[in-house]
Amino acid sequence: MLNMMKADMYRILKGKAIYIIFVFLILTSFVSAIGISPGHIGMSTSSGSAIDINDAEFVEKLSKAKSLKDVREVIKSKGAFELDKAVIGTNANLYYLFIVLVVIVLCTDFSNKSIKNTLSSAISRKKYYGSKTLLIFLLATFFTFFNTYFFYFLNIIINGKEFASSLLEVTKVTILELPLLYGIISLLICFAFLFKKTSTFNTVAIPFILGLQLVVIGITSLFKIKADWFYNYEFQFALEKIAQNPSTQYLIACTVLGIFYILIFHTIGYYSFKKSEIK
Amino acid sequence: MKETILKTNQLTKKYDNFTALENVNIQINKGDIYGLIGRNGAGKTTLMKVITTLTNRTSGEYELFGEKENVLEKKKRIGCLIENPAFFPNLTAYENLKYYCFQKGIADKNVIDEVLELVDLKEAKNKKFKNFSLGMKQRLGIAFAILDSPDFIILDEPINGLDPIGISKLRDTFKKLNTEKNITIMISSHILSELYMVANRFCIIEKGKVIKELSKEELDTECSKCIVIKTDDTKKASVVLETNLKTTNYKIINTNEIRLYDYLNHAEKVSKELISHDITIMGLYETGITLEEYFKTVIKEEL
Repeated sequence: MLNMMKADMYRILKGKAIYIIFVFLILTSFVSAIGISPGHIGMSTSSGSAIDINDAEFVEKLSKAKSLKDVREVIKSKGAFELDKAVIGTNANLYYLFIVLVVIVLCTDFSNKSIKNTLSSAISRKKYYGSKTLLIFLLATFFTFFNTYFFYFLNIIINGKEFASSLLEVTKVTILELPLLYGIISLLICFAFLFKKTSTFNTVAIPFILGLQLVVIGITSLFKIKADWFYNYEFQFALEKIAQNPSTQYLIACTVLGIFYILIFHTIGYYSFKKSEIK
Repeated sequence: MKETILKTNQLTKKYDNFTALENVNIQINKGDIYGLIGRNGAGKTTLMKVITTLTNRTSGEYELFGEKENVLEKKKRIGCLIENPAFFPNLTAYENLKYYCFQKGIADKNVIDEVLELVDLKEAKNKKFKNFSLGMKQRLGIAFAILDSPDFIILDEPINGLDPIGISKLRDTFKKLNTEKNITIMISSHILSELYMVANRFCIIEKGKVIKELSKEELDTECSKCIVIKTDDTKKASVVLETNLKTTNYKIINTNEIRLYDYLNHAEKVSKELISHDITIMGLYETGITLEEYFKTVIKEEL
């Protein structure tokens, strides 16, 4: 399994995608640090942001700001807050980077059909599944912590210590998010083994989170169903809440949910792969 | 007795209502170059895919290197090229093979140059796979198959898309691997004449069934020009051939048929001699077919 992972790392480092992930993370960190606001893809409660749209005076000041410098001054005047934790709260954005990771580690093998070379003479399906999954998890963990620490130090340099929490605190929050992040990565791995082709995988995976949110919100508002469970435990909302010092009970529930996702998606993914014909 | 490399027993593969392989029994011994011949869709690739675990068998079993249970472990002794050669398009030939060196735990990277030289790709080692011609891709596939000096290589239609010079070079490579490195080879094709030039044993497969398994000598006998003597007393006829016509170059096919490979332009002399010894001749004629004709005949018999 180690040989397999070593081979994949050699191949991945020869490509461009991994470096694009670095550049993307660095750029988004700069945007969030300079704008003093974490960026969101998808729906958000925006509770971690400094921009409170209900504060009319604040919004008016923002609208009158003529430059980025003015915007920063207006936000800073509102008072300091833990921007680094707010950014960790938007780690659902990493979902799209995880898609890239799954594609470069796994889907490429299916699309190029090079998986035949590996399975026909090198290793068993079990080891193949294990090594690919482990490598994706390791790379995802690395990028998640890179995102956390890079932003932590960049934020201190650009905005000062008053907008930062402690290094220990950001590490703790990131670790608490890991079970849910691993759960969602497991979903992507499951998709990859089910759909195999990169194009099909992308078609399903890219809009999945947004689509799910839209469908659930649509149904709950149409039938006037109370959807607290959804807002509490949906992937994106849950990650935001974890960064806002929730109760221990909530953290345990999120960890259990993450473990449940990991188990269920790997069971489906592995058994579908085990039975499938490699074309 | 030669070591058995691969032995299948009633191997069957079904896709819903379609039977791709039906009770296939074949045996490949160490040192063989085993030619698998069949039309497109006959089941050649499916058989190779089952052996290499790219697809699961429906029933039956097979042994690799004499082991039924530990087949997955024995796979490490196999090199494969199934269907079209598939590699990472943005990596060069060298990088692609280096990837597989890491994967197979091959520490000595010099083997890459060695195998590339063997398949005549050393000049193109730094060319990206996506810029390769079909022939170059096939050769890289073979280089991959022999990368970790396997004991047994499985090649699915490796000469597809190659020009005559490429085919000839590849043929020499197979023979070299077989004789110098003692590698057993299983090679499939739908062109019998091409396989004839490299293989020493043949298996004709049609509609998922093995319809004939024969050695090169047997194939030669089946195809070569000869006089067919149909008689009710092959024993007496063979005595006449040996004592009166002074030839041992004949073969008794069954109780009613002898094939004589001498006297090809003197059938009347043979006829006279047999009749003079009171042997009833029910038929006597010259025959001989090309490999392709033989293949067609065998397939038609099956149809």
